[in-house]
Amino acid sequence: MTTRMGLLASAVLCMAIGCSGPGADGRTGTGKQAPPSDQPQSPERSPAKEPPRTIAVIPKGTTHEFWKSVHAGANKAGREAGVTIAWKGPVREDDRAEQIKVVENFIAARVAGIVLAPLDDKALVPVVKDAIGEGIPVVIIDSDLSFAGRVSFVATDNHAGGAAAAQRLGTLLGGKGKVAMMRYQEGSASTMKREQGFLDALQKKFPEIEVVSSNQYGGATTETAYKTAENLLVRFGELDGIFCPNESTTFGMLRALQDAKRAGTVRFVGFDASSKLVEALGQGQIHGLAVQNPFAMGNLGVKALVDHLAGSPVDKRIDTGVEMITADNMGQPPMQALLSPDLDKWLK
Amino acid sequence: MAAGKRTQDSRLTTVSDRLVRMLKWLGPFLALALVIALFAGLAPDRFLSTYNLKTVATQTVIVGLGALGMTFVVISGGIDLSVGSLIALCSVITAVALRAGHGPMTAVLLGVSSGVLAGAVNGLLITGLRIVPFIVTLGTMGIARGLAKYLADEQKVDADALGLSGLMAKSPDPAWLLVAPGVWLLLGLAVISAVVLKRTVFGVHTFAIGSNEATAHLCGIRVNRTKVLIYALAGLFAGLAGVLQYCRLTVGDPTTALGKELDIIAAVVIGGGSLAGGSGGVLGSLIGAFLMAFLANGCTLTGVPNYVQEIIIGAIIVAAVAIDALRQHRDSP
Repeated sequence: MTTRMGLLASAVLCMAIGCSGPGADGRTGTGKQAPPSDQPQSPERSPAKEPPRTIAVIPKGTTHEFWKSVHAGANKAGREAGVTIAWKGPVREDDRAEQIKVVENFIAARVAGIVLAPLDDKALVPVVKDAIGEGIPVVIIDSDLSFAGRVSFVATDNHAGGAAAAQRLGTLLGGKGKVAMMRYQEGSASTMKREQGFLDALQKKFPEIEVVSSNQYGGATTETAYKTAENLLVRFGELDGIFCPNESTTFGMLRALQDAKRAGTVRFVGFDASSKLVEALGQGQIHGLAVQNPFAMGNLGVKALVDHLAGSPVDKRIDTGVEMITADNMGQPPMQALLSPDLDKWLK
Repeated sequence: MAAGKRTQDSRLTTVSDRLVRMLKWLGPFLALALVIALFAGLAPDRFLSTYNLKTVATQTVIVGLGALGMTFVVISGGIDLSVGSLIALCSVITAVALRAGHGPMTAVLLGVSSGVLAGAVNGLLITGLRIVPFIVTLGTMGIARGLAKYLADEQKVDADALGLSGLMAKSPDPAWLLVAPGVWLLLGLAVISAVVLKRTVFGVHTFAIGSNEATAHLCGIRVNRTKVLIYALAGLFAGLAGVLQYCRLTVGDPTTALGKELDIIAAVVIGGGSLAGGSGGVLGSLIGAFLMAFLANGCTLTGVPNYVQEIIIGAIIVAAVAIDALRQHRDSP
């Protein structure tokens, strides 16, 4: 009995201690050899000296390839400026409340500054105000926040990006046909601007194109987007063009088109890039990808914060640009740099 | 000789029995103390700072409120999977009411009473249709989520919070409150819940139904009525959590609290609640909720990636249930 209980007790302890296992930022797990008994906090375990200044970078999620590029760009800027980058997204991707918690916890950790890609333009305002109240400056990347107190907003001009997609699709269709747009998610500012930019430009420049569906949401993950796309394709047997406003919806739509053996027959313009999407572009299943520059977003976001901390003036709005990548131009070096940045160099 | 051995054995059994009981009772405290001690050791100045403790307290409110309601449900041998969706629905209703120009009191009342109503519907479906709670609440989980999205027009609902956001402000006004009013609400309701559970007829009936429903019925307990009350109570807590979720986000978000029901059930289970019914407690559930919040907070503070945090919480849930199983094993001959 006693051995069983001892086992249990040590199991509980191991679990608690396991938490300090792989340090995210190269810090070694100091709690690994904690004594199995009463006093887990012996004085020598408290960190002797503070690590170099830490800048927290908080994405909307961590599994999309897009955010890996942001991470790489942030790491590059961090290494150049000699600051540590603490990278952490919400545990449940795309959950506003979870992201607020991450910001709060970084405020409590007293980081030097925060680079944040807010999941919501309003919900994150109170916590960003808290940060600034605690003397921690905040740079916003990717999607904007309705709060002028941020240091800078570093992002793509999403409305223009959506318009570029409309231009591409309209030209491909010769100004005629039926088009469907599958939205990303309720309340995501950046994708909503792309969607609006797409619809605005389509209506203005190609008034004869009919938008047959623009109220379906792909949702947070590729899987949910895939399902929505399948249903859309079943509903519309005849479609001439499709637009999707981000990586997960574009990929979900691509998979659904491939399944339905309609890939290549429908003109398809997507947003963002991943290796699978680029492959499909080469095979003629996708006819244009509006590509942002996430690497620059992470990079310039951290740089803006470092400059601000050093007392230099920083632009309130930094545009990181959109390129329309097609099968014709995908081989050119500037496009290649956007499509396959050397992530391993900065993430390993 | 043999007789002597037996007495010794049984004495040993009672001693280890007591130990196991104590471990079960103390387990959540022990785990919480361990987690706090560990992170206090790793990041002493930050983890134990007033600001951080206020932060963790505020972060616990939503799951904590849900766990109070879930404690009653789990003790009665049921489960409520709809609580996450109800939180979203009630926060959207609060926001919609505010946007329509109602005062904050009306909006809060509407949000909370929608929760009670939805909870009562859960209870009525379970007792009226004689369907197991798992299935009923699985259904209402989808219904409530869909309703929230419908009411919100598939958008988040922007509405002026009219000072409601102060309920979840980490630095409260007035300052002598020390923590957000929402935290005091959670603690106050926890005390009331504990008293209701231990000292009232309703509480005793809840335990009786969870221990053996047939016997409870034979003893003259109005099982169905009690069950409807239990689910309505869970709805009340979900409604409150929804209102506070709105106060925290300052927008009504129909996609919020997705999967939160699992965190809430985990809090109750870590705190000693048994999904077989008949056991569980308010204090334990509250500790479970705090344990998860402290873990998430500490992992961010020390730079531990999310996946490690998820693995640890999973392991703690299994350990909590293992301790419970150990006790049950000892109890049965």
